[in-house]
Amino acid sequence: MTMPGEFTYRRIHRASRELLFDCLTRPEHLTHFWGPAGTTTPLDGITVDLRPGGAFETVMVNAEGNQYTMRATYVEVRRPDRLVWTEPDVEGGMTTTITFTDLGDGHTEVTTHQTNVPAAVADPRARQGFETSLRRFDEYVAGLASRRDG
Amino acid sequence: MTTPTVDHDLSFTFAALADPTRRAILTRLAAGDATVGQLAEPFSMTQQAISKHLKILERAGLISRGKAAQSRPCRLVPGPFDIAAEWIDRHRQIWQDRYDRLDAHLSALRSGREEQTT
Repeated sequence: MTMPGEFTYRRIHRASRELLFDCLTRPEHLTHFWGPAGTTTPLDGITVDLRPGGAFETVMVNAEGNQYTMRATYVEVRRPDRLVWTEPDVEGGMTTTITFTDLGDGHTEVTTHQTNVPAAVADPRARQGFETSLRRFDEYVAGLASRRDG
Repeated sequence: MTTPTVDHDLSFTFAALADPTRRAILTRLAAGDATVGQLAEPFSMTQQAISKHLKILERAGLISRGKAAQSRPCRLVPGPFDIAAEWIDRHRQIWQDRYDRLDAHLSALRSGREEQTT
């Protein structure tokens, strides 16, 4: 059974680790693909301060012109092996870890691992920073309880 | 003993999921409602032992128990699982789309480079 709120996504791309790392960390690349689907990510809305503690922000604009801002902070920046950022405002704290593995034939495996609240709560060491999500989940579970009692 | 309410202690939920017997019970309940007796069958456990696990699952908000019937059949409460599954699906889709577009971007970079070098 997978722990709730955690997943790993693997993809093989035809490019070097360096280029893939740059694609995920340079505004002039990010603007071409960051998405999500149905949105654009204008170059002037992308902030990359590529160092631990530095900001990673993107403004995504959908067809109706609505904007959604992703605010993240880099945790680990190790070109071309590993990139980690956290989004403290998302679901009580979400961490994204991207690792780049050279497959030796001009291809690179990119592994994206994301965790949010439940998995973090399952880890006692990570528990402290997640009170917001606990509250959110709490409200949800309380809602279940009142429905059941009602 | 008072009926425990599912108040402000999420650790119940995760503690409940940490036990293999309780996960097996949840898997069984995913196939349909069952009474304590039915749940006890595949395990070499007494109904009392199963009941203890069910109390923990109920307190964690993962199952509910019928009040009307004397057998009090157990039922999976899908909410917490749905939330987890939806979250995973949503994020997986975002990354899948994103890396599709990244591949297109890489192809564009490659063809641009090939044109320049010739």
